[in-house]
Amino acid sequence: MNGTEPVADAMRTRLEAAFDPRELNIVDESEKHRGHAGYQEGGESHFRVLIRSAAFDGQTRIARHRAVHDALGKDLVGRIHALALDIGA
Amino acid sequence: MTDVKTRIGDTVAANDVVLFMKGTKSMPQCGFSSRVAGVLNYMGVEFLDVNVLADEGVRQGIKEFSDWPTIPQLYVKGEFVGGCDIITEMTLSGELDTLFEQSGVAYDKDAADKIREANA
Repeated sequence: MNGTEPVADAMRTRLEAAFDPRELNIVDESEKHRGHAGYQEGGESHFRVLIRSAAFDGQTRIARHRAVHDALGKDLVGRIHALALDIGA
Repeated sequence: MTDVKTRIGDTVAANDVVLFMKGTKSMPQCGFSSRVAGVLNYMGVEFLDVNVLADEGVRQGIKEFSDWPTIPQLYVKGEFVGGCDIITEMTLSGELDTLFEQSGVAYDKDAADKIREANA
């Protein structure tokens, strides 16, 4: 990530590379949180991700979330204020 | 940092249910913390609330302790259960009830059913 690439694009690239998902939906919900803690002008602070991939088959909920956190990387996870995950096999 | 982790370990060992959250159970300061605290309050679960906003060491330390980057974080019987998304899913699926039953944690089953009915 070069700092100017939109966060959602970087998230999509990394999640596709890691999990080859058959369904991936990334929504920037930042506007819904305008005025709340963590909101920043221009958005890119609050994201909701729905991902479905066979890679999660047989994994516990915690393992699935950790795998997504790892795939996104500390730099991305550290940049966003809130990340809601809906993960399925 | 080692001291902080020891302190966190002692806290989750000494209390059956611990929620690391932003704010307190009576005055949450983040929507995600508020949701999990609200579920536990509504289900009548006795839990210790640890306000990470009141202690920067704990705020960072809990993320390393759990290998989990976000707040809130729920511990039951010393085991990390999950954050807001996982607790919400487990509440609606009934898995949280099962976990409390297996862990010997008292909760109000009728209240849990009401949450599920309201979100069906």
